[in-house]
Amino acid sequence: MDYFEVFGLPRLLGIDTLVLEKTFHNLSRKYHPDYFTTASPSEKTRAVRLTALLNDAYRTLRNPVRRVEYLLSLYGFKPDSSKVPQALLMEVFEINERLEEVKAGRASVEEADSLRAQIKEKRERFDSELQRASLEWDELMKRSEGEPKLKDQLVRLTEILSESSYIRNLEEELE
Amino acid sequence: MPKIVGIDLGTTNSLVAIVEDGTPRVLPGRDGGMLVPSVIYFEEGGTTLVGNPAKEKLVEKPKNTVFSIKRFMGKGIEDVREDLPLLPFEVAPDSDHIIRLKIFGRDYTPPELSAFILRELKRNAEAALGEEIKSAVITVPAYFNDAQRQATKDAGRIAGLDVLRIVNEPTAASLAYGLDKRKQGTIAVYDFGGGTFDISILKLSEGIFEVLSTSGDTHLGGDDIDEILIRLVLGELKRRPDVHQLQAIRKAVNKAKEELSAIDRAYITVQELQYGREITREEFNKLIGPIIERTLRPCRQALQDAGLKPADVDEVVMVGGSTRIPLVRQRVQELFGRVPHTELNPDEVVALGAAVQADILAGSKRDMLLLDVTPLSLGIETMGGVMSKIIPRNSTIPASATEMFTTFIDGQTNVKIHVLQGERELVKDCRSLAQFDLKDIPAMPAGLPRIEVKFLIDADGILSVSAQEQRTNKYQSIEVKPTYGLTDEQVEQMILESFEYAEADIEARLVIEARNEAETVLNATAKGIADEEYANISEEEKAEITAAVSRLREVMRTNDHQVIRQAIERLSNATMHLAELIMNAAISKALKDKRVREIQ
Repeated sequence: MDYFEVFGLPRLLGIDTLVLEKTFHNLSRKYHPDYFTTASPSEKTRAVRLTALLNDAYRTLRNPVRRVEYLLSLYGFKPDSSKVPQALLMEVFEINERLEEVKAGRASVEEADSLRAQIKEKRERFDSELQRASLEWDELMKRSEGEPKLKDQLVRLTEILSESSYIRNLEEELE
Repeated sequence: MPKIVGIDLGTTNSLVAIVEDGTPRVLPGRDGGMLVPSVIYFEEGGTTLVGNPAKEKLVEKPKNTVFSIKRFMGKGIEDVREDLPLLPFEVAPDSDHIIRLKIFGRDYTPPELSAFILRELKRNAEAALGEEIKSAVITVPAYFNDAQRQATKDAGRIAGLDVLRIVNEPTAASLAYGLDKRKQGTIAVYDFGGGTFDISILKLSEGIFEVLSTSGDTHLGGDDIDEILIRLVLGELKRRPDVHQLQAIRKAVNKAKEELSAIDRAYITVQELQYGREITREEFNKLIGPIIERTLRPCRQALQDAGLKPADVDEVVMVGGSTRIPLVRQRVQELFGRVPHTELNPDEVVALGAAVQADILAGSKRDMLLLDVTPLSLGIETMGGVMSKIIPRNSTIPASATEMFTTFIDGQTNVKIHVLQGERELVKDCRSLAQFDLKDIPAMPAGLPRIEVKFLIDADGILSVSAQEQRTNKYQSIEVKPTYGLTDEQVEQMILESFEYAEADIEARLVIEARNEAETVLNATAKGIADEEYANISEEEKAEITAAVSRLREVMRTNDHQVIRQAIERLSNATMHLAELIMNAAISKALKDKRVREIQ
């Protein structure tokens, strides 16, 4: 069972996280191991495995980036940070150098703040790109578009994730 | 229905509680007290005393009176090296992977010692309830790692208890606080005990207690405050005291510390040394400031991990004896900007919550459900001593991850997997959990075996691992070498048993697993087709791969695992040559890569 199926959802990227949470709670009440303490060992094992699957699915689908990553994996696509444009690599390299300065405590508070703002702005730009591409995917799916168009969109989504992975890593390092 | 008790196995004190008629209450000990001090006194000849009578022996018989054993759970000697000079215990030589204390010529591990306390609690509960107690829920600090949780479970087993659940202390406390009357909201539980510190952020919604994040320090508590005061006294003494005097100092500073929670100045008096000094609360606050600061960092981390700001927290709950210290309350209030809850006795609230969880497990309470998380990221060692995370911290448990492994040398039949916990990038900075040895892999050319390894963290926060070779569909035998903890056959047997599946749901399981495998093979195939080596196979082979893919796609949603398996096998065979080519290319490209995580 894939994660979308766990929640009874089609493979669309626009997910209402409030509804997702509600379903998560309802399914938890059904399958959680706490309710199978007195059950047979096989039922207990089943409860643990089903709940693990449910938790894995919720963790993945509630996060818009992990959600896309997972969708891509279902079609055999995987973001690859080594396939990004040269210009972006140069930019990341430059940001990274400044980050090292901040981490070594050689940068001023203003410099650190401006770096933080720059990274955040870049990440937000990727976020909106990803959101747009996700919506496009949903449109194609809803129109039952043929494989070539879907594949193009998967490639596009893969590209965005590949390119944004650098920025995300930098942002994590900064925290 | 036999009764299930809730046990708070604390660093300083332990308690046992039960829910009767919907209300949790702590069960008293033989002397009528609710707290059983976590102290064990050994008499020559084998008699033991636990609790208050043992506590009285701390100064008189320091070498054979064990206290704060919880701090040693799941640890090796290197982990506690710094504490040893201030402790009166004799450590046995063979303590690298599990600490052994030598008492009257016999070695005792922390789980065995904790079992003495658990047996006492079990007896107390049986005396109070008039029936035999066989099962329990035992609490642990939320930030306990896998080895520490396992050690606690082992202690329960040694004490003759069926440990139905290991529950995190702060979450247990939240169950006891009657917060479920509040329909929605965000709660922070600040749990500062005798030996450990935890912070958990929970979201409450219609009886579901969902932990959003947790952080802490399993070696930070009231004991550390005592040690600061002990060092203060030691610095003012002319000679180094002996172990008796050391314990007398510990007792004196502990008393002064407790008094300073109520009054502005206290006296540290050690008659044995004719030593005395006054200490003001101001002086005390200055000394302990850094320790309290160390509890605030995890608080900020937990808030960040939950994606919240301090102002988003609706209620703050204080748990653990050390939260009686006024400066602790003050700093927590400053951080969260609200007055924390201190209505319930901070010593009892965890045990009461454990009893509530026991009641849920007994099936009498279906309206409440606790969804807890794993405090530390789980990962495996990859090339270059780097830790690759497979289950991130703060994942709701049970949680799982599946990884694909293969061989590196032709005919290799063994693969080693090193499992770790922690947040740092390098293996050496993380906590080693265990080495798993995948054995009896069918002899094949290097890179061909596809061993699917499933990592499962259960509701206790404890890891288990199972493996299956994908081409032969054989379950792999696994040899587990835990880095810290008991390695006896019993534990090993227990772990192996958890991999065996009962027959009842075998059909459903086989279908689910066949589908999972189908996904994996399809993904791998898609990658293979995208690879440049794809150009080097024949047109017939390409056609067969395409046909096998569409066949597998067609059957994988059916409920017949055998049909799915056949289709997988067909595709596996069809891609065998391609996989070989890719593998050979990959190997010549990266000879150093010891572990290929996925066949390209």
